[in-house]
Amino acid sequence: MKKVLAVLMAATMVFSLAACGGGSGDETTAAQTTAAADDGADDTAAADDGAAGDFVADVNGDGKIIVGYISKNLTDPFHGPINASAEEKIEQLKTDGIIDDWTGVLDGNTDGPTQIDRAQDCISQGCDYVIILPAEAEASDPAVVQLAEAGIHVIVVNSKTNSTDDLAMLYSGSDDVQAGEIMGNYIIEQCPDGGKYVHCNGILGNSAQIQRTEGIKNTLGADSKFEMVADEDTQWKGDLAANAATNAMAQYGEELVAIVCDNDDMSSAAQTACNSAGRTDIVCIGVDGNETPLQMIKDGELGATVYQNGVGQLGAAIDAMVETIENNAAPAEKEIMVDFVLVTSENVDEYLK
Amino acid sequence: MAVKSEKKILGMERETFRQFMGKYGVSLIMVVMIIAIAIYNHRFISGTNLLNVVTQVSINGMLAFGMCLCITIGGIDLTVGAQLALVGVIMGQTITNSGMPIALGVLIGVAVATLFGFINGFLIAKFNMFPFVVTLSMQLVIRGAAQVISGGRAITFGQDVKNLYYGKLLGIPYPIIALVVVFILMYIMFHWTKLGRYILAVGGNANAAVASGVSEVKIRIICHTISGFLAGIAAVIMAAKTGTGQSNIGVSYETDAVAAAVIGGTSFAGGIATMPGVLIGILIVGFIYNGITMIGIDANWQSIIRGLVIIATVMLDNAINGRNRK
Repeated sequence: MKKVLAVLMAATMVFSLAACGGGSGDETTAAQTTAAADDGADDTAAADDGAAGDFVADVNGDGKIIVGYISKNLTDPFHGPINASAEEKIEQLKTDGIIDDWTGVLDGNTDGPTQIDRAQDCISQGCDYVIILPAEAEASDPAVVQLAEAGIHVIVVNSKTNSTDDLAMLYSGSDDVQAGEIMGNYIIEQCPDGGKYVHCNGILGNSAQIQRTEGIKNTLGADSKFEMVADEDTQWKGDLAANAATNAMAQYGEELVAIVCDNDDMSSAAQTACNSAGRTDIVCIGVDGNETPLQMIKDGELGATVYQNGVGQLGAAIDAMVETIENNAAPAEKEIMVDFVLVTSENVDEYLK
Repeated sequence: MAVKSEKKILGMERETFRQFMGKYGVSLIMVVMIIAIAIYNHRFISGTNLLNVVTQVSINGMLAFGMCLCITIGGIDLTVGAQLALVGVIMGQTITNSGMPIALGVLIGVAVATLFGFINGFLIAKFNMFPFVVTLSMQLVIRGAAQVISGGRAITFGQDVKNLYYGKLLGIPYPIIALVVVFILMYIMFHWTKLGRYILAVGGNANAAVASGVSEVKIRIICHTISGFLAGIAAVIMAAKTGTGQSNIGVSYETDAVAAAVIGGTSFAGGIATMPGVLIGILIVGFIYNGITMIGIDANWQSIIRGLVIIATVMLDNAINGRNRK
């Protein structure tokens, strides 16, 4: 009985796999044949978006515009609203008839290799445009490269991969150095007498971590009144930042004036630790604009956070994409920069939804 | 070993000394470690800092006690990190978004974690599947459930929830009280009751245990259920500490829990563990994190140092006690 069941289950799995695989396989071959036919006919290299004049929105010539969306992940509070906005906006494009179909939000799992797999899925599904929010500058780069090599228009959002400048049709993001500088300047303004501060890092080597740290160095690091007493490997994690805050308060007492964090999951947790120890005077600040820190600003528990307009970055990218489809021409600008915003109690209501 | 030696070490019979080291050797390592860091930075042994460290290890402590049980029966529980996320978002939905009383939200969260622990144990014991495979897959299910419940968004907690971590009773932070209570209960359960002896028996030699009338299935389910329950408690502390419930927290928290259990003398071969050992292991992991900061090691090097210190501790413990535990 058990054996029969096992064989049946195995058969079902093989069958369903074959069914799924077969479908996409057909599409791939179809796409490749048409692409090859195109190449033969008018001899244009679809992969090169740089040259003006030969821009084709429907890169594989199947008469359909299909959009792929590879998220960074589905779990970060920062990416949740971006994915939700993608779902809404791209679905709307489909309803309006501007595009024919899209892949839905694909889970990048904050992992380069996973994003490469999803990129290959997009290629076999016959996508003409793929929007990708890279997990890593280096590890996710092959995804961008492979998409571009397949002739697909790649739109990179939020952070760059190494070959984004050369291969992507468009990049929409923000300058993380600016975010670091906004944080540094805020602390300098709030603590005119200077003092000791702690820096809580994101996962080391991540481009946002590197650039935000650079911005902090440009401002706080350059000010002789301030001294960094700890440079913590807190890995974007709030509870580790809370530990760093309690440790630093115990070690430096009144001399500790600020905790500067690479994201605001960490700054909100650090501020919570400070406030609970009666040290509401310590200035904690981070970057992103997630729900919890914004709520804390509204409640008067946190001074400020640096808002990264992820939804705005995506929106600008989608608008530019629509333009290229409608005009059948390359985008006017290859790079769109969206500013960071300092959020305090004065403007928090605009960002807290 | 058959002939009892007459030689005395530190005024003790050699055999007594060996047993002493077998039980308390790892605490000596901890003391040496504390002294070494304190020489470097005397603030390390200040009352506030030590109190901070013990408060900070409470989350990992809960996870490590559960992990120790699972390792002792020859398994592992890889779901604990995901449980942190799930219970956090459940608390967010019930307390912040639905306005339920804190106690009720906490109760629901911990109950769900316990249920998932039970499911882990049930799958492992009833269907004779590898604990590694079951908990690895359930990790995906549990984190997925957290994503579904939260929609990927963070849910904020008010000060009353945060007080569960930052509040104090007679000057002692709540997490320390929770840690002590759990330690005492685990000690009594593991070292004084039949259940504890059965757990060790199943881990040491499952066939022999079954032959002498112990229900292996029941013991495995109980161990994983306790681990789930403790992960639920840890999650409550975590939510209070960060003031937020979100589905991306707790990634790779299994690592520190396993490290604490192993430093505390829990054997991956099964059947060997002591609760005081695990407690020391938990503290050592905390001192490693805290000490690295106190010494002022560069952020880029901290991860390497943590890994090496854990290996060194286990090696040292083996060198001192390897033979003594047999």
